[in-house]
Amino acid sequence: MTGSASKTRAWLTWAALALPVVLLVLSLNLGSYPIPLKAVWTTLTHAPATGPGAAPTPYADILFRVRLPRLLLALFAGAALAVSGASLQALFQNPLVFEFSLGISYGAAFGAALSLVFLGRAFPPQLAAFAMAVLAVLLVVLIAGRSASGIVPVLLSGIIVSALFQALLSLVEFVANPYALQALIFWLMGSLSQAAWGDLAVTLPVIGLGVLILILLRWRMNVLSLGDDEARALGVNVRREKALVIAVATLVTAAATSVTGVINWVGLIVPHLVRMAVGADNRKVLPLSAAFGASLLIVADDIARSAASFEIPIGILTSVVGIPFFIVLLKRSGRVWR
Amino acid sequence: MKVRVEKLAFAYEDFRLEVGELIFPDARVTSVVGPNGAGKSTFLKCLASVLPAPPRTIFVDGRDLAALRGRERARLVAYVPQEASFTFNYAVLDFILTGRAAFLPTFGAPTSLDVALAEEALCYVGLDGQLRRSFFELSSGERRLVLIARALAQGSDVLLLDEPTSFLDPRHEVETMALCRRLADEKGKTIIVTLHNLEMAVRYSDGMVFMKNGRVVASGPPRQTLSEPLLRSVYDMEMRIVECAGWVFFAK
Repeated sequence: MTGSASKTRAWLTWAALALPVVLLVLSLNLGSYPIPLKAVWTTLTHAPATGPGAAPTPYADILFRVRLPRLLLALFAGAALAVSGASLQALFQNPLVFEFSLGISYGAAFGAALSLVFLGRAFPPQLAAFAMAVLAVLLVVLIAGRSASGIVPVLLSGIIVSALFQALLSLVEFVANPYALQALIFWLMGSLSQAAWGDLAVTLPVIGLGVLILILLRWRMNVLSLGDDEARALGVNVRREKALVIAVATLVTAAATSVTGVINWVGLIVPHLVRMAVGADNRKVLPLSAAFGASLLIVADDIARSAASFEIPIGILTSVVGIPFFIVLLKRSGRVWR
Repeated sequence: MKVRVEKLAFAYEDFRLEVGELIFPDARVTSVVGPNGAGKSTFLKCLASVLPAPPRTIFVDGRDLAALRGRERARLVAYVPQEASFTFNYAVLDFILTGRAAFLPTFGAPTSLDVALAEEALCYVGLDGQLRRSFFELSSGERRLVLIARALAQGSDVLLLDEPTSFLDPRHEVETMALCRRLADEKGKTIIVTLHNLEMAVRYSDGMVFMKNGRVVASGPPRQTLSEPLLRSVYDMEMRIVECAGWVFFAK
């Protein structure tokens, strides 16, 4: 590679990493009540000087109470889903694995639904989501057994476990009272509208720390993606490091799902797109997946709250827009798994 | 580094590997030969700790391999599988760099020193300038060389190669075995290689180990060990040893 080409590539990488922050700032003016960008900037920069006792302006009220928390949630949840998808794909040496195909999404959704419907948030939904998501992964590994590194056994086990948790989720819906059911169904379709600073105070640090750990493990994932035998021969403590990646990937997905509901496809589509663009090296794939996952969810949320007079559930949007987009890419590129 | 095996026993499903006393001398090429299912690859995987050999059965430079941590073990012994069967298409450089895992912390990444070692290893196997190519674009012969380059980047003194010449054309077969020879002669590596091609084994090895049904049947320098009765008992077929112009051939 020539010097100028590598410099251009480095610039593009930095631009891609900065993209979610730029999109977040630009998205603050979008919504049913448009706020000019200049007013967004003024409100953001003057907020600390206003002090807690001062009455909020309408702009500040909308920005700080509604838009900023949901956009921050979009940023963190998008990064979490994409990074955990990329990590699990490397770990299971399987480009078709993501949080949905391992049962993590529906495990987490079932855990959070249990907490929301029966415990009235007395038991933190994040914790319930994580516990059930871990149970889902354990079940997948248990069912796949000794073939846990094979593509088909893992996918089949994941489908079985996902179906089990979907059935359990339906059971919760069946016995939930009508008010709880309505909220639960809307939440299950994926929505960032529930973003409140109270939840985010717990969720965002968990996601942030988890994503950071996975990104720090990015080169190790190159080694783990060669298979257990090879990684062991190369001196890696395979069992310990796989357990670490699975635990952290499950944690960030569960933390995101417990607030956003089920948002599928991000963990599958984004890492594939990134691999098509920059190759298979996880040193690039993981940080860029975080950036593009965050960007995708921010844009999806912009569309969700601006395209119609009502809010479109973001989970529906990511599926409806993401799947055809992914099919086109699959047709146009023979380098999908690379 | 010398590799010593003492009363190694390993079993899985209905197969049992039993190797009594065996020494692989320092800086020598030893070929492990035998029919399919003889246990050659299982033996090699035990030596590489890919399969868990019992404690105090395999010693490298006097150190019990089973008592070492993964990192320490990988710095002593490198394993070259028969084929790379991974899913993602890494660039040659990224693949060779995985050989540096034993030297890097869990949260670490390769440095410029690791890249330099990877480049040097690739040059040594004759693939200089191929760092940016993707692994899946390489021919079978080139892939084998890249696998060996990764083992070189690993810096281990003992290299275990599982059938490195299978599915290769004669030229690449000779090149791969000549490389093994050079690694022993020039770099002082202890090479243990499983092979099916007996001509290659005789031509490039200092020692041969014959295996059948999970056991070592005979071992020693090729020309002193080889005999037609031995071949008959190992392969269950008639084979003639033909010597011509200093070369040994096997007529079947």
